Amino acid sequence: MNQPSAAHERIMAEAERIQALGEAAEREARDPVNQPTINNWLEAMGNTNPRWKAGEAPPSMAQVWTMYGLGGKPPADDPLHGMMKVLTDEGFTAVLGTNCEQEYRRTLTVGEQVRVTTALESVVGPKRTGMGEGYFVTSRNTWYVDGADGDAEVVATMLFRVLKFVPKGAAS
Amino acid sequence: MTTPTTSTNPSTTGAPLAAGDTIPAWVLPITPTLVVSTAISTRDFQDVHHDRDIAQAAGSKDIFVNILTSTALVERYVTEWLHERTGDWDTDVRGIAIRLGAPAYPYDTLTFTGSVASVEDGVATLQVTGAVPLGDHVTGTVKVAVR
Repeated sequence: MNQPSAAHERIMAEAERIQALGEAAEREARDPVNQPTINNWLEAMGNTNPRWKAGEAPPSMAQVWTMYGLGGKPPADDPLHGMMKVLTDEGFTAVLGTNCEQEYRRTLTVGEQVRVTTALESVVGPKRTGMGEGYFVTSRNTWYVDGADGDAEVVATMLFRVLKFVPKGAAS
Repeated sequence: MTTPTTSTNPSTTGAPLAAGDTIPAWVLPITPTLVVSTAISTRDFQDVHHDRDIAQAAGSKDIFVNILTSTALVERYVTEWLHERTGDWDTDVRGIAIRLGAPAYPYDTLTFTGSVASVEDGVATLQVTGAVPLGDHVTGTVKVAVR
């Protein structure tokens, strides 16, 4: 590995600090789970499952409800984006999604308000890959619905891994 | 619309899922409209999913399918097949884990294939691949509750 060890040590120190934040940067979905947003998704995906017209939302839409939207920006304390900035500043400017693992505890229903937290799961590297040298950054999102009794129910989780890398051929 | 199950699979209709069962292939032509409409419907406004000039300036051949859509298409592929098997839509998807490979560009065909890897403890694990001409766009597993 030709990355200076000082840079690696800075990266891993920041990774440790951000990991210690645990679940952070909690955000509310802009809108409750709603039929028009489901309908737009169904049309685009060509999905004709009638359950999604009868009060339930498709499982893989879990992430959709808490997307930032047009012009939306992650909060300053967001663990994933914080780690991305650390790596960008160290020269690992390019990013590529490599893995997305979603688990669904149940389907969401129209009217439910969802919120999400983000935690930094791991930072592994530097690794030489076909794309260039970089770090694999894995984050974990947890989606919650708050019950009437005040209990927070986990409805879905996601492990998301990106490669943050120096593109091959780029000046190092 | 294009259904994933244009070929019949009569020997398995209605039968419990078993390891080794194959899912008929689904060939999905990727169009600019599909890439853009799916990205926006997932509330993903990253420009590489709707602006070809920006995508090409960033070194990409064209705009490309976003990850939320890759997951959603895997979900559709599996649930439409299960609908054909069971005659209903009641099967619950418990999880979708995908690895991303080659980008899916407009004018590619995205071909899904799959099979049942295992059935254990009330959960069937389905192995799914979505391939484009450059290689595998997506490979992964889908876990569904067995009824």
